[in-house]
Amino acid sequence: MTATTSESYEDVWRDASPQVLAALVRRYGDFDACEDAVQEALLAASRQWPDEGVPDNPRAWLIRVGSRRLIDARRTDRARAAREVAVADEVAPGGTSEHDDSLTLLLLCCHPSLSRPSQVALTLRAVGGLGTDQIARAFLVPESTMSQRISRAKARLREVDAPFALPPPVELPARVAAVAHVLYLVFTEGHTSTGGSGLTDVSLAEEAIRLTRRLHDLLPGDPEVAGLLALMLLTDARRPARLDASGALVPLAEQDRSLWRRDLIDEGVALVEDALPRGPVGPYQLQAAIAAVHAEAGTAAATDWAQVEVLYGMLSALTPGPVVTLNHAVAVGEARGPDAALAMLTPLFDEPALRRTHRLHAVHAHLLERAGRLDEARAAYAEAARLATSVPEQRYLQALASR
Amino acid sequence: MKYVILIHSNPQPWGHPTDQLTEEGRAQSQEFHDASGRAFDALMEEINASGEFVTAMALADPASSTLYGWSPEQTLRTDGPYAESKEQLAGFFMIDCETRERAEEIAAHFAQPGGTIELRPSMWGDGDDQ
Repeated sequence: MTATTSESYEDVWRDASPQVLAALVRRYGDFDACEDAVQEALLAASRQWPDEGVPDNPRAWLIRVGSRRLIDARRTDRARAAREVAVADEVAPGGTSEHDDSLTLLLLCCHPSLSRPSQVALTLRAVGGLGTDQIARAFLVPESTMSQRISRAKARLREVDAPFALPPPVELPARVAAVAHVLYLVFTEGHTSTGGSGLTDVSLAEEAIRLTRRLHDLLPGDPEVAGLLALMLLTDARRPARLDASGALVPLAEQDRSLWRRDLIDEGVALVEDALPRGPVGPYQLQAAIAAVHAEAGTAAATDWAQVEVLYGMLSALTPGPVVTLNHAVAVGEARGPDAALAMLTPLFDEPALRRTHRLHAVHAHLLERAGRLDEARAAYAEAARLATSVPEQRYLQALASR
Repeated sequence: MKYVILIHSNPQPWGHPTDQLTEEGRAQSQEFHDASGRAFDALMEEINASGEFVTAMALADPASSTLYGWSPEQTLRTDGPYAESKEQLAGFFMIDCETRERAEEIAAHFAQPGGTIELRPSMWGDGDDQ
């Protein structure tokens, strides 16, 4: 027994939970029921560990409690239950490695038969070990909605009879890409919407980084997984500088760079530098490389915009779309001046996905201002402020419009 | 991104589904209402399965509302409705969509006789630093 804080209790059981789930699924099949049993075992841990201390083998403890719940739920006869619990005391899952089990579980939660929001919810619950209530609060949806989403996802997996096994090698890259996308969505939700608001007890950004680290440990040779982890670390490194003392958003160019997390930057840069030459180059690696260029500039003025422009050009070739074009135009504006960038923007005003977003108008305003067209810039800032859907961004844009 | 779909309507008498109780709605055939009911159920099934549905609420008669005005001296409490306008807020749906286009696609399904549907994006307390 070890004395620990309540936070580290949670770390212990959440770290153990995917292995506990995998062990139960291996032994009893029925992912749905096993997943419920693990949640109940985690709940029991949250009640008992703070009083009784963390058991010497937390995983074995959770497997035992989970097995018991599962067996109770199945209402099998007492003799069989006792036998099963005795078996459950042996921790090692027979036949397969823990490594495969962890990966199998991630891939199953991101199964192609599930919608993205379902994949996100199931991954956070089954792999992240988060409770439905915590996930619901983090995404600002009612708990009943989240609970229904998770039940439907599990029912769907049963319906398509998704096996608890690694997919054939030919399917693996697409399946891993789906996991990466789910973790990316968790991170962006945490980073841009609810991060630091103090309203939730779970940091989705931190959770995404934790799970991506795990995926990277499982697949160290996958350059896009490394790129994704690097992108998250390099973005998260700016978090201490993103808000000023009054809680207002500070744009990248105006951030106090001495507040950036050097440790995360170093780790992110090392990851992306290691991944890029290995190839094939993918969008996460390119976005990480762009974040690395920003991270390595001592001041905003020292940013190597020519390199950012090249990287956005490559990203644009790989994943063309209006949002990438907009970011590319920002880099072109900085590297070559506002006129070339304004020309790139013109067709974007006809894009349904962009024309009513604040960002297009904010970039437009900034370029007009740099081109000396101040009246037009003011009008564009005002339009951007009207369309902004974030309170701090709107305040910032209103301030620019009324100068 | 979360959006609300606001249903402005004036059913007489007040009730739900509003589209059957407006003057324009009553002018439609039973077949029309049956078909739109089925289409609505299918839409609900779809956005539940996709994870885009967040929550929804039908609202009671605006005559049952209580209004609170403010002046430096006191808070003024009066009985509703809020405004004598023809259409009142009758209910709302909250959805969570990856793109504005998708939210518009869903909201368009709510168009109904005798009502006006309004799609509004939510605002967040935080934002992107780029």
